[in-house]
Amino acid sequence: MSSKGLMRGQLLAATVAFGLFTSAAHAQQQPCIGNSAAVTGPAAFSGQAIKMGAQIAIDEINEAGGVLGQKLRLVQYDDAGAPPRGVDNTRRIALADKCIAVLGGFHSTVAVAQVEPIHEIGIPYMGVWAANTKAVENGRDPNFMFRVSAKDKWVARFLVDEALKVSKDGKIAFFYENTGWGNGALPDIKAAMAARGKELVAAETFNWNDQDMSPQVIRARDAGAEVVMIWSLDREGNQVLRAMDKIGYKPAVIGAWGISGNLGELAGPLANGVRVMQTYSFLTPQSETGKKVLAALAAKYGLNDPSAIKAASGIADAYDAVYILADAIKIAGAFDWAKVQKALYEVNRDGLVAPYKPAFDKSDPERNDALLPEHYLLAVWHDGKLIPFKGSPYDK
Amino acid sequence: MSRLHAIGFLLLAAILVAVPLASGNEYELRLFMLFLIYAIIAVGLNVLVGLAGLVSLGQAGLFALGAYTGAVVAIRLGFDMISSGLIAAIVAGLFGVLLAYPTVRVRGVYLAVVTIAFGLIVENVAIEWQSLTGGTTGITSIPSPNAFGVALSGYAYYVVLAVSLFLLVLATHHLKDSRYGRAMLATAQSETAARALGLNPTALRTLAFVVAAVTSGIAGTYYAFLNSYISPDIFTFTDSVRFLLMVILGGAASTFGPVIGAYLLTYLPEYLQEFAVWQKFAYGALLLVVMFALPRGIMGSLGALAARLRPAAKAAPLDGALPADVTLAPEASRPHAELVARDLTVRFGGLTALASASLRVKPGEIHALIGPNGAGKSTFVNTISGFYRPTSGACELDGVALTGLSSHEIARVGLARTFQNTELFGEMTVLENVMVGYQQRLTYGIAAAVLHTPAMRREESRCRRTAAGLLAFVGLEAYAHEQARFLPFGLQRRLEIARALAAGPRLLLLDEPAAGLTTQEIDELEAMIRKIAGLGISVLLIEHHVELIMAVADTVTVLDYGQVIASDTPSAVQANPRVVEAYFGTSGHGAPAEASA
Amino acid sequence: MSTVAQYIFSGLAIGGIYALVALGFHIMWSAARAVNFAHGDTLMIGGLLAAYLVGSGWSLVLACGLAVLAGGAFGFALERLAVRPFAGQANSIGWMLTTIAVGIMVESLATIETQGYALPLPSPGVAGSVQVLGAGLYPQELVIPVIAVIAMAGLRLLQRHTLIGRAMQAVAHNKNAAALMGIDVNLVIAFSFALASLTGAAAGVLIAPVVQASATMGVLPGLKGFAVAIMGGITSAPGVVLTGLAYGVIEKFVEGYISTAAREIVGFSLMIVVLLAFPQGLFGKREVAKV
Repeated sequence: MSSKGLMRGQLLAATVAFGLFTSAAHAQQQPCIGNSAAVTGPAAFSGQAIKMGAQIAIDEINEAGGVLGQKLRLVQYDDAGAPPRGVDNTRRIALADKCIAVLGGFHSTVAVAQVEPIHEIGIPYMGVWAANTKAVENGRDPNFMFRVSAKDKWVARFLVDEALKVSKDGKIAFFYENTGWGNGALPDIKAAMAARGKELVAAETFNWNDQDMSPQVIRARDAGAEVVMIWSLDREGNQVLRAMDKIGYKPAVIGAWGISGNLGELAGPLANGVRVMQTYSFLTPQSETGKKVLAALAAKYGLNDPSAIKAASGIADAYDAVYILADAIKIAGAFDWAKVQKALYEVNRDGLVAPYKPAFDKSDPERNDALLPEHYLLAVWHDGKLIPFKGSPYDK
Repeated sequence: MSRLHAIGFLLLAAILVAVPLASGNEYELRLFMLFLIYAIIAVGLNVLVGLAGLVSLGQAGLFALGAYTGAVVAIRLGFDMISSGLIAAIVAGLFGVLLAYPTVRVRGVYLAVVTIAFGLIVENVAIEWQSLTGGTTGITSIPSPNAFGVALSGYAYYVVLAVSLFLLVLATHHLKDSRYGRAMLATAQSETAARALGLNPTALRTLAFVVAAVTSGIAGTYYAFLNSYISPDIFTFTDSVRFLLMVILGGAASTFGPVIGAYLLTYLPEYLQEFAVWQKFAYGALLLVVMFALPRGIMGSLGALAARLRPAAKAAPLDGALPADVTLAPEASRPHAELVARDLTVRFGGLTALASASLRVKPGEIHALIGPNGAGKSTFVNTISGFYRPTSGACELDGVALTGLSSHEIARVGLARTFQNTELFGEMTVLENVMVGYQQRLTYGIAAAVLHTPAMRREESRCRRTAAGLLAFVGLEAYAHEQARFLPFGLQRRLEIARALAAGPRLLLLDEPAAGLTTQEIDELEAMIRKIAGLGISVLLIEHHVELIMAVADTVTVLDYGQVIASDTPSAVQANPRVVEAYFGTSGHGAPAEASA
Repeated sequence: MSTVAQYIFSGLAIGGIYALVALGFHIMWSAARAVNFAHGDTLMIGGLLAAYLVGSGWSLVLACGLAVLAGGAFGFALERLAVRPFAGQANSIGWMLTTIAVGIMVESLATIETQGYALPLPSPGVAGSVQVLGAGLYPQELVIPVIAVIAMAGLRLLQRHTLIGRAMQAVAHNKNAAALMGIDVNLVIAFSFALASLTGAAAGVLIAPVVQASATMGVLPGLKGFAVAIMGGITSAPGVVLTGLAYGVIEKFVEGYISTAAREIVGFSLMIVVLLAFPQGLFGKREVAKV
């Protein structure tokens, strides 16, 4: 290792280093909304769904003249579900792209990790998927974390109520994936049970891509659980159902929205009767807004069949979130983080998912969430399709 | 330090000073700080991969250990960043020792799997040990960087990271340029030869693992404080691959390579974002291209290119060579060495390779050991030099028992050897090969090596000059800067002798030094052996070549079927009927002329 | 009792997959002293392709056959492109990183195609469960370990009774000598990689009905299959198959009686301990270094 090669290497590195910084110094000032989501990896579908929902909303807003005379723009960065990348993306969105707000992603771990940089910088964050309670109820004041999505705490109560309709004695087991989302929901479920004076008979966990869940299912059966609540994605939800099938154990199954994607396709008839909480479905009779969004999904992304839309809640939540942000910017009258944060409490709008009247409430620390339990839907898997529970063959 | 390296360090310093001044916003500065942290890992890992030649695919595990340890003690015990970092370094270092232990027994792909397993275990423990690590949610609210009660703002923390990296690059550069670095490189290329020269491979590997572990541990703490948040997702197998790739991409074993590799792989994901869903594919494709286009990394390829363009630079003359007869002269107080082997028996399974063989090399003599193929000569050599353990029997050098010692300990007692199939450090220069031989005579410690103290430099200079003198002694001074593997075969044998002599042995063991040499080369070898003996070094010569033996040996011992059948002066042995029979199967045909197989 | 039987049979099913994957590693290692670190992705290619073809209307048998062949072709191509140029290097970093790179690319393609969702592979083997000694199982799960053992026996027959099989053994024993005997060593190595990948893809096709096909389905079986191969002694086919089956069963008992969470920690720690005690693996042959 001698001679000029080494020096040339150094010069090259230096040129690259300086080149990067001078070019990046010309950051654009155009109003934009930045999104850090999983674009690659096992939850890649979520990044796509958020992009679809947000882009459709932004296109509509821009066609109607934009916000404060400016056209909105969406920037999406991949975090692959890794919190440090989510944190880096947050900083990039806020400091390099100087966007007006951060749109959240799929992974709860990322959302929790974003709390710190969001407040350090003071840029509004709008969650559209990750449902972890503490991400938004983080005890900060002013709180820059907002959300148009489910909240595990409320979902837990919603599902526990459903479960107790099935099992009057409260013999309920809880199955959750060993991730930030699953682990974060455990205390919420326990609290919801305690509020009804009950305790879980079993709490079982598993990892992504686990191939067999018979030990967990056996333990739940032996504990006498009549209802199994599941906090997982479709793939693992399917494993749980199959493990139950193998040992001939047939409890009622109720799940959070992780199993609202393609469980019916994976588990076939085993999925029949599995109840799932959702925030939105394109399979119910649609409002005018819903029809407009469906048309856009078909035109822009080729999703012609509403039942082929696997991540309805993600798309719809992102769509509403962008509109709420746009309203707040208009109310604030400026592309200013702090002003927009305050203005968000003044937004009133009839959204796709729900009426937001108002969207957020400053006086209530629980109300940095726009979607309330009464907006949650109970759906049920039936012959490969997720249909509204009300009026289904299982609604007795 | 060469002028080129000095320029490199100046440039590195200039970049580290200029970047915070030039960075457009806080995000860019943070990204650069992230690069500094990754560079610290890569530079430390380079000691393991580049110098010691070991693959670690579990470096993210050590990074995680550092990050979690630092974060936990900072939060629970209220330690500042410096003491947290120290504790993290100690914990990671201890695990480094633990990881080095398997290298005693497993190498190559086996070791890679052990490190992969280690990384996965750490990741899973971080997920499962919820009370300590926060499980999948991780640890939030790690205090902002502080030292001695003073909070370090963005720029102050930048200075800490930049200075850390600069000092680490300097320290590893010094380490590489010291007896430790040379020993690691040598051990990676030929463990056998390294042992025979008194190097302790286990200790060296442990050192390399500890360096890589401690740097990753410190980097982990820096990371925890920079991000104020850590979770198990940061420390996956993919990250371990990335750390290894930083070293390979930049150029393993080079001083600045890992820094460049870390830079590129920190910034690459930023640009890959353009590819949206295709970015992982693009990353894989790029990795593939790098392995094909730059298998030796950026610095390695540049170095090779430069060497091809300007080969003349290699012929720099050697100044101040110390003549071999000065450096090899025995201390007056010590008598010449005597080697005694008593009743050595070696069995491999049912096969008895040596049966009660005894031999005595008298002080100062040239003692030849001969015998037909399969007689047990190699077994004998390997047994006294500690590569095989005798089933029974003992040998000693000047009354110091050699049996039971490992080969590197035997080398330190004063026995040096060459190898039947040459075992050079092929990627090192001829001069460096000899300097490795001198290794056990160097006394400075690791701190001196890292600091390049004046005492260390004096010792190094003496080492270099001695090596130069030995090259002159064997007639290789013109090749000093060639890579050893490019030497013609005959010269490789000479280099092995010079290298063995550099250890300052009192007994030199030459294992078939004439094999494959031309007649003229054998004549030169004969003269060389005489000169060596003339310096007061006892010589044990294992040879087939009878003429050479008859010309130089004072005593000849003959082995056959693992047994000593004769031991006497050359002429007496030549006349011994048992020897004749051993060579020809029949008696009565005079001397075993030209018995070389 | 039925619980213990459940763990044993479920463990044997998973273990059968580890065994098949490990057998592939054994075949590659024997021929080339190198392996394909993307072998887990071979499994994924098999499973995912079969699910895709069935999804687009192919018959199950045809789809599975084609998926397995595609896996074999992948292994063949990968050996030529990513392994051979780096074979014979002093350290193994070259082919480790190139095969990892190919793995990243293949997995990324699969993720783009599936968006991360799993796909079902309907098979009669999972249509209904059966009861064995009180344990509930899919017939598919019972078949997997049996196939692993058959594959091992088939390999033995191949090596004993066919020309290519004998050539494989010769190459495994001594490459130079085999070349001097007129054996096309490169061809044998390429064949070995293809054969290994066929077993890998077959493992994918076999397990897909049980676990569903997804872009990441091969990651853990790939890693654990390799760990199993090293633990069992990568030079011994019966060794790796036996170890694979045992590893699967041990995992289930750890899940059942300690916790699901402890599985990976216990499994990989066990591997390190085994390697420390038996550096060549449980059933591997010691390679003697000659000075």
